[in-house]
Amino acid sequence: MTTLMSKPVSAPGKSVIERLNIVTAVVLGAVSAFVVWRLALQFLPADTEVRLFTREDKITLLSMVAWFVGFMTGIGALVGPFRWVMGKDLSHDENMFLAGKDMGVNRYFRYTTDHKVVGIQYLVITMVIFGIGGILAMLIRTNLGTPEGGWIHPQAYNSIVGTHGIIMIVGTIIMVTGPFGNFIMPIMIGARDMAFPRLNALSFWLIVAAAIPLIWAQFIGGISTGWSAYNPLAGQAPLGMNGYIMFICIFAISTMVAGANITTTIVRMRANGMTWNRTPIFIYGTMASVALALPAFPVFFLSQVMSAMDRALDTSFYNTAGGGSGWLYENLFWIMGHPEVYVILIPAVAALMEMAPVFTRRPLFSFNVAVMGIAGISGLSVLVWAHHMYISGWAPLLNAPFMLTTELISIPTGMLFLVLVGTLWRGRLWMTMPTMSIFALLWNFMIGGITGIYLSDVPADAFLHGSMYVTAHFHYTLMGAGLTGALAALVYWFPKMTGRMFDKKLSWISFWLVQIGFNVAFVGMFTVGLAGQPRRVESYASTFNTGNLITTIGAYTIMVGMLVLLHGVISSWRSGDKAPMNPWQAKTLEWTVPNPIPLENFDVLPTVTSDAYGYGKAKS
Amino acid sequence: MTDLMNSKKPQWWKSPDVKKTAILWVICTAIVGYVGTEFHVRSIVEPASETMTGVIDLMRIFTWAASPVAGLVFAICLTVLTSKRHYGDNPPAEADHQISNSPRANAVWIVVSALLCLFALITGLIVLQKDSEAVLESTAIQMNVTGSQWVWSFDYPNGARSEDLYLPVDKPVVFHITSVDVKHSFWIVQMGIKMDANPGAITEAAVTPNKIGVFDIRCAELCGLLHAYMQTKVHVVSQNDYDKWVAEHAALEGRA
Repeated sequence: MTTLMSKPVSAPGKSVIERLNIVTAVVLGAVSAFVVWRLALQFLPADTEVRLFTREDKITLLSMVAWFVGFMTGIGALVGPFRWVMGKDLSHDENMFLAGKDMGVNRYFRYTTDHKVVGIQYLVITMVIFGIGGILAMLIRTNLGTPEGGWIHPQAYNSIVGTHGIIMIVGTIIMVTGPFGNFIMPIMIGARDMAFPRLNALSFWLIVAAAIPLIWAQFIGGISTGWSAYNPLAGQAPLGMNGYIMFICIFAISTMVAGANITTTIVRMRANGMTWNRTPIFIYGTMASVALALPAFPVFFLSQVMSAMDRALDTSFYNTAGGGSGWLYENLFWIMGHPEVYVILIPAVAALMEMAPVFTRRPLFSFNVAVMGIAGISGLSVLVWAHHMYISGWAPLLNAPFMLTTELISIPTGMLFLVLVGTLWRGRLWMTMPTMSIFALLWNFMIGGITGIYLSDVPADAFLHGSMYVTAHFHYTLMGAGLTGALAALVYWFPKMTGRMFDKKLSWISFWLVQIGFNVAFVGMFTVGLAGQPRRVESYASTFNTGNLITTIGAYTIMVGMLVLLHGVISSWRSGDKAPMNPWQAKTLEWTVPNPIPLENFDVLPTVTSDAYGYGKAKS
Repeated sequence: MTDLMNSKKPQWWKSPDVKKTAILWVICTAIVGYVGTEFHVRSIVEPASETMTGVIDLMRIFTWAASPVAGLVFAICLTVLTSKRHYGDNPPAEADHQISNSPRANAVWIVVSALLCLFALITGLIVLQKDSEAVLESTAIQMNVTGSQWVWSFDYPNGARSEDLYLPVDKPVVFHITSVDVKHSFWIVQMGIKMDANPGAITEAAVTPNKIGVFDIRCAELCGLLHAYMQTKVHVVSQNDYDKWVAEHAALEGRA
């Protein structure tokens, strides 16, 4: 690399920066993985004692690390740092090239730093993730359509459940802060780009790099542990577990990088006059989300490093026989795991709060309460992790305090409800798919929230924990509330991101199919949970027939709805009506830039003199 | 909520949309409370212990306590949805007010949600206290439960062993639960108790079965390949039958 790099950049022909793209990345990644795999196979000593997998684990992990380093080098992540070390920092032209100036479609397949390109990249990868996760969900539901299901082998079934879980969690984590946090947020605060454009590109390409180990895992035994990958079960799981570990480690780095970048951008780069009181609520939601990920994901990273060491290097962090504890893993996992659900939820709700004034033509109700609600949830969410461990037997005395913190979260969550219904009250309802999504969110989130109160209660949780009831509950919050908000955000910001209007009819059809299918599916799942069906089972007693059949029917309805939405995205993107600059007549800054948006968004940076919610006629 | 409009204006509650919301609130609260409790009570398993009856009561109480809040949110949604709606590509006229806050509504909302939260906490703590004390019951049968991939096995105080559980009715039992391989979760479905079986540690759970019959034991924590099949039955029998059964089985173990 360094010899190529030392060529004078002004020389005729293509410089290194111009050569690198996704093809070089994949080639370099695959070659490095192969070389390291061969070398490891050749030179790694055999295990002295007979242990399951240890040498194979080392080989797999080393090859995956090699893939990761090769891919990131091949995409160009190291160009900037190398050049800086060599004292030849990138010139203006090179920076413009990196930003994708005048490059057309090619820039989407490169290490492009323009936040709008990164936003679109995130949007596409989120849709791909949901597509794969959705197919896996349909496999699960088809298998569970009949009690003795069983056309999928239990090992494969467990792996499908685990992969569906982790891929959907990742998809929902990035579904708002990825596409809209990158594309819309900088324009909304009146900035020309993110604070660290190269880190922005880095955070996206890390996700692509992370995806391969996860796919790889499917061919070497799968992820048969569920998305939580509890130890010691993960310790005895097949080699595919290494794919999960690498995936999480790389994704955690991506999330940390994105978190640092987005937080800095929001704190430092808001337009002149955009005081905290004039900052749109979506910005608060985005910032709370990524800032929560900052303490959460290093812990996740660490927990998986320890898991990898237990597998490959015979350490005993989680191995009871060697003095470790599975409870340690559970603690580390949920210290990440609970803030993470709010990482998912907060920006989706905040996006709907941003749309509520636009579609009711009146000011946002109680901006301060909205901010306080977001802050309250963020603060409390790091103090509730052990409610996932009420019945683990880890520390029965801690159940009462964790029940307290968990139930306290209902107060700031209630504030978000207040803001939304307060804004709807006496508004002029402009019926669009995002408008109806506000109502859908209130409905789904209410059900998810109230069932959450049962689950927060230790005695009730002793019955409900680990049952399908829990599965239904978190689908109501993450999908019923989170995904509903994200889909509304897609339709709302589609005109700005693609320059075309989202097909109205298709948005309505998919909205109703998804919402009705969703409620059918997960109400059915509540009933089987109450009747005593555990989670993650591939066959069940015949008493659970009806509920599971209902859930499967609902799931297919969701699938049809999502396909309609996908068709809507593709057809509108290709040939939708050209969007005016401000189709919703909204007052935030992203609607003040023309379509298509110029490379640096604003010719003259805007000055903000009021908040973005000045709708409604003043009483005279 | 109803004083969202200008609270200085006299008799705000006489405005038609406030009245409509108030009526809808009552209706929605009743529907949410009734449908919510019925949904849970009808779907949930038939209880076979005091503990499970307690769980069902908790759900009933929580559902009714939450129903006014849910009812209000749904009532406001209905009022808004049934008022004039605008379809079209251009926005409707601006709303005829610019109200962006109501300290009174905020205060009421926050205080009420704090009170409900406190109520849920106290109700839960009372039941939790009862459950925690049950583990210390000295007259209880002390039962050792071992989870392994993918069977449960039970060791009775007198040395008997079995893979399906026998218990006498109306007698407290304390389970000492552990695992020999990975984490399992010991769940007696109809008795409303569940406790993880951890390798290298012993956890406790207690219950008093109050119904004769056969009930389900399932594993509630993914434990590998045959997790779905890691289930067995608990036979709750009269004290006499139980004594006879354990004596026979202890003898069997002795011979082996």
